[in-house]
Amino acid sequence: MKRFAVLQLSGCAGCEVALLNAEAWVAQYKLVYMPLVVSAEDVPEVDVLLISGGVRTDEDLYKLRRAVKNAQQVVAVGTCAISGGVANLGDRDEVRALFLAERDRPHVPRLLSKSHPVDAFVAVDLYVPGCPPTAELFMAVLTNPRDFQASKVVCQECGRQKLKDVKPAHLLGFQQGEVLPDVCLINQGYLCVGSSTRGGCRAPCPRAGHPCVGCRGPSDVFIEKESDVWFKSIKRVFASMTDAPESEIEQGLRSPQLAMFLFQFSDYAGGDRLPRPKEKVL
Amino acid sequence: MPAATAFRGPKRKCCEMMTLTFPLSRIEGHARVVVDVRDGIVQSAKFQATEFRGFEYLVKGAPAGQMPVIVPRICGVCSTAHHVASVKALEDAYGITPPPLALTIRELLMLGQLLQNQATSLFIFTMPDRLGVDSIFDVNETELDGDALAGMAARALQVRQAGTHLITLAGGQFIHPVKAVVGGVTGGISAEAAAAMRSELADALLVACALFDAYWGYSLALSARLGTWGDDAPACYLTAVSGTRPNYYGDFLRLMGCEGGDVCAQFPACEYRVFLTVEEAEYSYAAQTSFQGHVLRANSLARANLVDSLGTPCANEYLQRFHREFGQPAHAILLYDLARGIELVYAIERAMEILAGPLEGAETRIPYTPRDGEGYGLVEAPRGPLIHHYRIENSLIAQAEFVIPTVHNVLAIERALRVAAERYITPDRANLELERAVGRVVRAFDPCIACATQH
Repeated sequence: MKRFAVLQLSGCAGCEVALLNAEAWVAQYKLVYMPLVVSAEDVPEVDVLLISGGVRTDEDLYKLRRAVKNAQQVVAVGTCAISGGVANLGDRDEVRALFLAERDRPHVPRLLSKSHPVDAFVAVDLYVPGCPPTAELFMAVLTNPRDFQASKVVCQECGRQKLKDVKPAHLLGFQQGEVLPDVCLINQGYLCVGSSTRGGCRAPCPRAGHPCVGCRGPSDVFIEKESDVWFKSIKRVFASMTDAPESEIEQGLRSPQLAMFLFQFSDYAGGDRLPRPKEKVL
Repeated sequence: MPAATAFRGPKRKCCEMMTLTFPLSRIEGHARVVVDVRDGIVQSAKFQATEFRGFEYLVKGAPAGQMPVIVPRICGVCSTAHHVASVKALEDAYGITPPPLALTIRELLMLGQLLQNQATSLFIFTMPDRLGVDSIFDVNETELDGDALAGMAARALQVRQAGTHLITLAGGQFIHPVKAVVGGVTGGISAEAAAAMRSELADALLVACALFDAYWGYSLALSARLGTWGDDAPACYLTAVSGTRPNYYGDFLRLMGCEGGDVCAQFPACEYRVFLTVEEAEYSYAAQTSFQGHVLRANSLARANLVDSLGTPCANEYLQRFHREFGQPAHAILLYDLARGIELVYAIERAMEILAGPLEGAETRIPYTPRDGEGYGLVEAPRGPLIHHYRIENSLIAQAEFVIPTVHNVLAIERALRVAAERYITPDRANLELERAVGRVVRAFDPCIACATQH
């Protein structure tokens, strides 16, 4: 039986909780390390090491470096492991002041200057974006990622109908107003970025009436490119599907809840590293 | 099983200090326990949160309307509670009340959260302590006895999944849900979907009761072996539910004084500072709450002490048995775990009741105009009362405050750890049972470290 481990760095444990819903691995794998559910001191030798969360403390970094030595395959799961995640939101000056204030505290692990992606420190074999990735995606990782069938973009998995002749004059944002069933959320004025967000999640949010916030990151077309290229493409979609003024679209897209996800592949390590090849992204 | 003798310290000298550090697993997030001993006398027992989330800083400047999507990321285990508390805080600031159907669907969301959480805590976090294994997934490989254990991991996951499916139905996705929006929810639930969910819950109820009965039995055996349920001095209890058919959607906070009896204070979320004192600790990223100098307790035992009757058949039977056998209020630590099982059954039964009624056809959201100001959102999360407090200026979050249930329990956790440490450490030796006791005590409070470290 193959063995796998889950190393949780600084994150919300949502990835781990999602994995628990993919219980079919129980028959194929032995879970040897996952502090959330297994008492074990250290990561032993494993076939697959899943890493969630960003590298935010010196303890995270220590655990990460130790764990990868014992792993055949290293998989970064979720937005935080891929980009540092939600911890990099906020006013930079505020966060910097906080970091400086907490830097020399005794007894607790020392904070790093930001939440770093895992591959800023170790080599990663596979990236599985999603906040969190669905149970189906976890199963694909643990069985055969190459067999995983998904649409290119969330839009194709959503099932809502795009209407050519309905063009909202203004954007509603993310939440306000009634949501009509079955009609494309952009037609209704919502800031949905499912048209170019990577498929594979089966579109739970737009199906439930909430616009896609792009947690799976960009589709293969944009994943190796700068974020600006994806950003421009999203703007073009809104320019053609709505009559909303350009400034309104521009402002709407500059949102923290999109920023958590839009930049997870392109601007991930300060811009001085090569982009991750799309072949490595599930 | 005889208590294992761990080690004898070296020959004691004057002022001999010893620090025992216990890493923790099977809890949400990163924490450890540090016990300081001098000359065989326990000096302190500290609960250290060793990760930092800091959302009070991260959300500053965010458009207020985006909070319901951003803040669930505080914690993947508690994301539903944060999602609902967030829309409630915004609605309080905007001065609007959602329509009744929206409130019903939000109650379902909170029940799904409760079901999912209590199943996880009960079966995945604490069942292994009763069975002497490292994880629930190891159960099948042990030599332990028969039928009650057969396929336990799969059955536990089945119950837990019913909770995640309920959140998905009411919230869109089960981690970081999206369906609660300011003014209501994005839509109702079709009769067909509700019926399918009810039938899944009916199956889960049978499995949950069977597993909980086994769990109750193992807990009795454990307390017989230890000679205690984890006795500790009485504490004050804090919760946002009471009475009959408790609604975890939350309205007021309630405090039960150390002597038990009636509620000694009832107050809205905006008055929490009058009653609760929150202080930082230099050795931990989590703060600590107290009430007029007293140790506070939240979570399942607080609710079992303040709720008189649950109003659903199976859960109520368990609750009456609990009150009969352990008293009301009950204070022993391991009773937290049993109380969690009662709520697991309640969540299933109550959700089935709600799903039997109409959940579509009526208004699910009302229009509103955002405005600047201040708002409080209170829910009873599985770990206790959770408050989101936002100050909004120019439509942006100027200040956010997250009042976290785990933080209310920190002093109670430390006091219980000290009792355990004193039980197992004597001047000439420390009993290895202490390591297991530390795990049991902490897990009884089911702390969530991702939630507890926001400022």
